[in-house]
Amino acid sequence: MLYALCFLLFMIGLYCAVIKKNMVKIVIGIMVMEYAVNLFLIMLGYRTGGIAPIIDKSQLEPSTGQLTAAFLNSSVDPLPQALVLTAIVISLGSLALMISICVRTYGKYGTFDITQIRRLKG
Amino acid sequence: MSIPLPAFVAIPLVTAFLLPIFGKKGKAAATVLANLATVSLLVLAIVSVGQSRVYEIGKWSIPLGINLVLDGLSSLLLLAISVVSTAAMFFSIRYMEQYTAKAKYLSLFLLMVAGMNGVVLSGDIFNLFVFLEIASIASYALVGFGCEHEELEASFKYMVLGSIGSIFILFAVALVYGNTGSLNMAYISKAIQSSGLNAGLTFALGLFIAGFGLKAALVPFHAWLPDAHPSAPAPISAMLSGVLIKTLGVYALTRVVFNVFGISISTGWLLIALGLLSMVAGAFLAIGQWDLKRLMAYSSISQLGYVVLGIGLGGLIIAEGGNLAWASLAILGGLFHLVNHAVYKSLLFLTSGSVEMSTGTRQMRQMGGLAEKMPVTRATCIIASASIAGIPPFSGFWSKLILVVAAIQASFYWVAAIIVFVSLCTLIMYLKVQRYVFLGELPENLQQSKEAKNSMLVAMIFLACLCVLMGLLVLVPSLRSHILNPAVKVLTDGLEYSTKIINM
Amino acid sequence: MDKILLIPVFLPLIAGFVLLFLPNKIKLLSRALTLVISVVTFALAIRIFTLGQSNYAWSVLEIGNLKFDLLLSAMPLGAFILMFAMGFGLLITLYSLKSIGPSAKRVNEYYGSVLLTIGGSAGILLSNHLLFLLIFWEIVTVSLYLLITTGGKNSNFAATKSFAMIGASDAALLLGILMVWVLSGTFVISDISLATASTLPIIAFLLLMTAAITKAGAMPLHTWLPTSGEYAPASVMALLPAAIDKLLGIYLLVIIVRQMFVFKSVVLSLVLAIIGAATIIIAVMIAMVQHNLKKLLSYHAISQVGYMVLGIATGTPVGIAGGVFHMLNHAVYKCCLFLCGGSVEQAAGTAELDKLGGLGKKMPITFAACLIAALSISGIPPFNGFVSKWMVYQGVIQMGTAQTGGAAKLWPIWLTCAMFGSALTLASFVKLIHSIFLSRLPDELKDVKEVSLPMKVPMVVLALLCVFFGVFYHVPLKLFIYPALNIEPGTAIFGTWDSTLATALIIIGIGLGLLILLVGLLARKVRTVPTWTCGEAQTNEQMIIPGTHFYKTVSSMGGLKQLYTGQEKGHFDLYNQSGKCGLGLTNFLKWLHSGLLPMYLTWVTLGLLVILFIVCGIW
Repeated sequence: MLYALCFLLFMIGLYCAVIKKNMVKIVIGIMVMEYAVNLFLIMLGYRTGGIAPIIDKSQLEPSTGQLTAAFLNSSVDPLPQALVLTAIVISLGSLALMISICVRTYGKYGTFDITQIRRLKG
Repeated sequence: MSIPLPAFVAIPLVTAFLLPIFGKKGKAAATVLANLATVSLLVLAIVSVGQSRVYEIGKWSIPLGINLVLDGLSSLLLLAISVVSTAAMFFSIRYMEQYTAKAKYLSLFLLMVAGMNGVVLSGDIFNLFVFLEIASIASYALVGFGCEHEELEASFKYMVLGSIGSIFILFAVALVYGNTGSLNMAYISKAIQSSGLNAGLTFALGLFIAGFGLKAALVPFHAWLPDAHPSAPAPISAMLSGVLIKTLGVYALTRVVFNVFGISISTGWLLIALGLLSMVAGAFLAIGQWDLKRLMAYSSISQLGYVVLGIGLGGLIIAEGGNLAWASLAILGGLFHLVNHAVYKSLLFLTSGSVEMSTGTRQMRQMGGLAEKMPVTRATCIIASASIAGIPPFSGFWSKLILVVAAIQASFYWVAAIIVFVSLCTLIMYLKVQRYVFLGELPENLQQSKEAKNSMLVAMIFLACLCVLMGLLVLVPSLRSHILNPAVKVLTDGLEYSTKIINM
Repeated sequence: MDKILLIPVFLPLIAGFVLLFLPNKIKLLSRALTLVISVVTFALAIRIFTLGQSNYAWSVLEIGNLKFDLLLSAMPLGAFILMFAMGFGLLITLYSLKSIGPSAKRVNEYYGSVLLTIGGSAGILLSNHLLFLLIFWEIVTVSLYLLITTGGKNSNFAATKSFAMIGASDAALLLGILMVWVLSGTFVISDISLATASTLPIIAFLLLMTAAITKAGAMPLHTWLPTSGEYAPASVMALLPAAIDKLLGIYLLVIIVRQMFVFKSVVLSLVLAIIGAATIIIAVMIAMVQHNLKKLLSYHAISQVGYMVLGIATGTPVGIAGGVFHMLNHAVYKCCLFLCGGSVEQAAGTAELDKLGGLGKKMPITFAACLIAALSISGIPPFNGFVSKWMVYQGVIQMGTAQTGGAAKLWPIWLTCAMFGSALTLASFVKLIHSIFLSRLPDELKDVKEVSLPMKVPMVVLALLCVFFGVFYHVPLKLFIYPALNIEPGTAIFGTWDSTLATALIIIGIGLGLLILLVGLLARKVRTVPTWTCGEAQTNEQMIIPGTHFYKTVSSMGGLKQLYTGQEKGHFDLYNQSGKCGLGLTNFLKWLHSGLLPMYLTWVTLGLLVILFIVCGIW
């Protein structure tokens, strides 16, 4: 169910990017898609009622020094979170570049309407 | 000699961050440093030919850590990247004097190189995505480097389409992780072998093909390329058409399809269809162009079709359980064409750059008769054109010959006929270039045009010599068995990749 | 292992490649080098011919069952053609020394391409491996392109068209060769023998045939020839389209018909015969109405190919021998004609027939050479053109009497076309000789001088060859043609024809005619007065009767007129027509790329959907 909603969010972003004429809205659409995927990644690692996967002394068996079974069974997967952090950084970079290009293009063409910006064709 | 694999990424990355420090006064020093970086990468790439190693970052063993993998296919691509980037960087020394902010340009250039090297070496699928994004974002910025109307427009369109491609890839990575619980390509492949493809993984495969296909500019995902490649400065066009679309697109696509998911009949046909569509559409579109660089950009689409077609044909034969020798011939043709295309297309873009610099226009209708004014540019352009049109004994002839032979051998007569037909179209489009740019009457306003500057000439002559000599790669048995055959073997081995990496 | 075979191929190729990229400042080197190398290759070609069968093999590449060996071998057919090809190379180099002077643009490119042509054609004629044949074949194509570009204005268009059309046929050659390889399992020409019984061999044959006839310039793929004839330098036309391209094209045709394929299909010989006959008659009809000297010659170069193709199509020994002999003869006289044309163009500064006239007295040697060559091409005994045409006629008649099948039944048609074509050829050369050499001298051409020695020598040599091959036709037939085609030397092929007797009769006839003329002149008393023009002063220009209007009646005849105008506009030109189709498709595709980002995004989405469908197997 949650996955389907996530997919719906992705489709909304795609729709926005394809249909909207305003350059900034297209950028927003792309970002919506990006966050749908990020959300999806986070949900992959999530467990209902899970705990943060941070190891402190209380999580170790005093006798063997191994992680406790309770911790292993209830901690969420840390890897997707790392992935999402990376993905967010990347998307921030491309978002900044996109918006700055939008601004410069507006300066040159005097419009945000992508259907008006079509010198390159053929 | 064994080279630490991270050097391929670290050298350009570190240099890229050092360069802006020099600022406006240290332009010369920055240029020298950037050139040193690319040359040292070339040396490293040549030394690493024929090796195959795994490097575990931070000594964390896989699957916990991230690994870098050097095998035949990677070293072939590394070689192509470093040759083209060395030539393009050398060309930039004088060419980029037209622009301001040269240090920033050089730093973006090296970031792109770092990204591509990373893509080629990465053995981890998410890491591959990260490097792919580094290279892509650097290239978005470089396309818009001129900051004029058309550059900005092209950059925006490229960026929108490119980001969508990246999102597809990220989505597919997420799906793969969700279904196999691993991000290491070898382990993913192992998991897929043991449990088979489920719906999620198949969906991911489709997303991968579309995403990498977008980066490779296969028809119908190609629309950004004819805008973006001509708008970039000439050395960057050379990098984009020469290697970027191949590493981010074709390399990643084949790696994922062949080594991670395993080739099936339907994906084989899909690759062939994409290849043929790109070949034909690209060729027809290129013939109709009057903008010199736009023509070359469309021809890149068409030529990349050859590469994908060859690889797809080989894959199809493998999937159908056919003769492995036939399959490897087709893949050999595709990969050899990839390397050839990297060299001659970057040479063509460099010549277009020197023509644009001396005439101030890219419109072929406004040029003519430059053969006497720019003899070296013309000679190198004619070599590259002969090579791309498949005229013996230049390199392009051999790769196309191998492709046609492979197609005919496997009884795909119609595919062979299309290959030959597109080759004819390629010939016609470059005859058009020769006719309108270099032959005919010299217009009044171009009487003063001069031959390109020294550093540009050296870069062009270097690539032209390679065009003449590249045929040896396939003709000399020892070179073939060192450079091309290992790369082919990586693909024909298919899923055995995982056991190899894990045991290494 | 005869390494001598390597030299005529690779020496000129390497030297030519280096010359292409030599800076333009170095001028003398290229000419000296080309002359020396062409002499060396000619000498070696004679040596190879006298050596008889010799072979050279070197394994270049082997991937699986794709064996790629450099196999050179001197077969009788190849060796004798090689000798002549190298001879033409030498003569043209000699001629070029003066005609392409140091003032010309891109001299090094010109001489480099001449050397590439020499080496490439040597490679084609010697190689016994189909893929190497293809490689050398393409080298010759490229050198033709480069040579045409050294011409004047508009030569870039002609060069592009030629390269595109021949390139298309080269593509056909590549496909054909690979199909032959798959069908027969080998690339070695002397090992191949395919029966044309099923579809695939027939397609392969047609592909190879396309390549051969395009190079030779037969219809319907001939249109590159007149276009380049108009704009390329005359020496280029003499070297490639007139001489070497014909030798190579017909060589390939003979090889595929006689060696590589065993004819089982009636349709194929019918196709060849139709191409031959149509080429003869249509090209000569177009040639008659041309106004440009070099263009007229180019159309004749097409028309004559028809005889060669027709001769080979007959499949009879006489016909094939006739076709091959005609190829040789044609190379000789057409090369001579183009060289004469070049001399006239250089001396008078134009190749338009309207502007020429009365040069016979100014350029006697050119006139004589041109006259001999013109008589040869028109098939007048005792010159060489007659002998080979006669053999082709005999071949056609023999086919009609000896064989059954579609092509044989129609033999009267082929014969009529061939003979009528010959008559029309004579008619158009009457016009040419009149317009250039007879007529009246226009004022602008008062200062025209005969060309210099290096240009005269090749013309004279070729003209003498025309006479020699015509009178002593036994010599070339016995020495070259019969051994090359494995035909019994004793074959009676001439019917009741006896050359010596005929020559004697002709000479007696001419003598008698002169005698009558002399008697008449002496017997009648003639009074010479200036023409009465009603007192009007007549300029020289008004008194010139140009030959260009000789056949205006033909071109303005109803029905033919439309065809002629259509032809002039290029309606029957495959190059133009396929260009238009391609352009239509291109424009549609360009219209799709309208610059609308949402449209591009839609393609991406649809593409993704289709890929997902295919991958998930919902298809």
